[in-house]
Amino acid sequence: MDTQQYIESGILEEYALGILSDAERSEVERLAAIHPEIRHELDVIVMGLDAYAEAHSITPPADMRERVLTGWQQAIRQQDSEKDTNPVVPFTAEPTPTPQPVAVTLPPVSAPAPEPVVRPISSAPEPVQAQAPARGFGWLMAASVALLLSLGGNYVLYNRWQHTQSELFAVQNEQARFAATQQASQKLMTTQRQELAVLRDEQFRHVTLAGTPAAPTAKARVLYNPATRAVYVDVRSLPAPPAGKQYQLWALDKGKPVDAGVLAATTAAGEGLQQMKDIASAQAFAMTVENVGGSPTPTLSTMTVVGNI
Amino acid sequence: MNVIPPEPVPSLSEEDLLVQRLRDRDESAMTLFYDRYSAALYGVIMRIVKKEEEAEDVLQESMVKIWNSFGSYDAGKGRLFTWVMNVCRNLAIDKIRSRQYRVGSRTQPLEDSAAVREPASPTFRPEHIGLQEMTKQLNPDQQQVVDMLYFGGYTQSEVAEELNLPLGTVKTRARAAIKVLSKLIR
Repeated sequence: MDTQQYIESGILEEYALGILSDAERSEVERLAAIHPEIRHELDVIVMGLDAYAEAHSITPPADMRERVLTGWQQAIRQQDSEKDTNPVVPFTAEPTPTPQPVAVTLPPVSAPAPEPVVRPISSAPEPVQAQAPARGFGWLMAASVALLLSLGGNYVLYNRWQHTQSELFAVQNEQARFAATQQASQKLMTTQRQELAVLRDEQFRHVTLAGTPAAPTAKARVLYNPATRAVYVDVRSLPAPPAGKQYQLWALDKGKPVDAGVLAATTAAGEGLQQMKDIASAQAFAMTVENVGGSPTPTLSTMTVVGNI
Repeated sequence: MNVIPPEPVPSLSEEDLLVQRLRDRDESAMTLFYDRYSAALYGVIMRIVKKEEEAEDVLQESMVKIWNSFGSYDAGKGRLFTWVMNVCRNLAIDKIRSRQYRVGSRTQPLEDSAAVREPASPTFRPEHIGLQEMTKQLNPDQQQVVDMLYFGGYTQSEVAEELNLPLGTVKTRARAAIKVLSKLIR
């Protein structure tokens, strides 16, 4: 054939503009594949139009990049999930026929391609127009589904957050409880260490207080260090004091009672040593039952235990 | 509006690599794709639809279509740039047609298209030297015809009818215009 005449005919320009029929398009592609000079001429023409298109370049607004790429990704994800439930919709690169009702013509750079991706602009505007509202609806649907997915996702995340928060509270409570227990243990250990030190200390005199006829089984002990004036009391057995009453320790110095402080309920119950008021000098110790808070002078009738140093 | 010189079209090897990644369904390749082609595609889409929001929609729809239909792209028949540009052009022209459809003027589907009749809206002033040089080489008659065909979605018959010219004249002008453009890059 006369390729020069073919080139001069102008059909290659029409091909590049995308205004040929399918048959004409295929013919151009067939001849371009056979004749290098037609191929070359076609390439030059296409590149000329490409350059014209590219000369119109406008850099999109910077914030558009994120929106478009995200929107694209959501759209293809949406298709993926639709494909999972509806295998009729093709979404592979495979040249499977598509049920899309777009004007069925051919892409300009593609042979009998299944999907009408690029078709001559001139082809029937009606299907395009008729399709337009449907596409709008499709996007609306996609947007709605995306919103629903987003809401669902938010709900799940909110629940997880709530759950995590309550777990955190639980762990924090646990931790606080453990800390309190640990603190109590620490305190107890310190106390017992002090008690042990007192009991081991040879400077302390051990004064046994025996029960009076009012409480014959009562028994207690006072640990007294005359050098440091420290006084500890150690109850073995005491009758529980009546309500509103409390045991009070007295030091008897030259027959005169000196207040040595009241016993805590735990001390009276025999749970451990209790440090009392410092006593400068004493020859005997005694305990009476007094009103809570103690009395300035002992109620002798309630004396429960007494013992000389 | 930022108008910058277009990126040089990626060399064959770069384009081949991108094509390969898109074939492999590598989603991250679309980011590269955007960075490479968005200015050229957005410029043409804007030239057609004129409105920034619609142009953004069309660009995104085009990317979805490019991704979904990538299997039908045949590198042996043309460059990726040409193919994706045609996808965008078609969708953009669909957009302005559906706009006309929505306002219900089916009896005058194309005649009122400002996108086609006027070279550009006042907000669109590409200062690009390449475009100026190119249009300087085209006479106004040629440019009008090529713009109607390329950006307006007109057939040659519609152009002839619209401009009240014989079909042969339209064809001659279109051919001449494209020859001029091709010579510029030869």
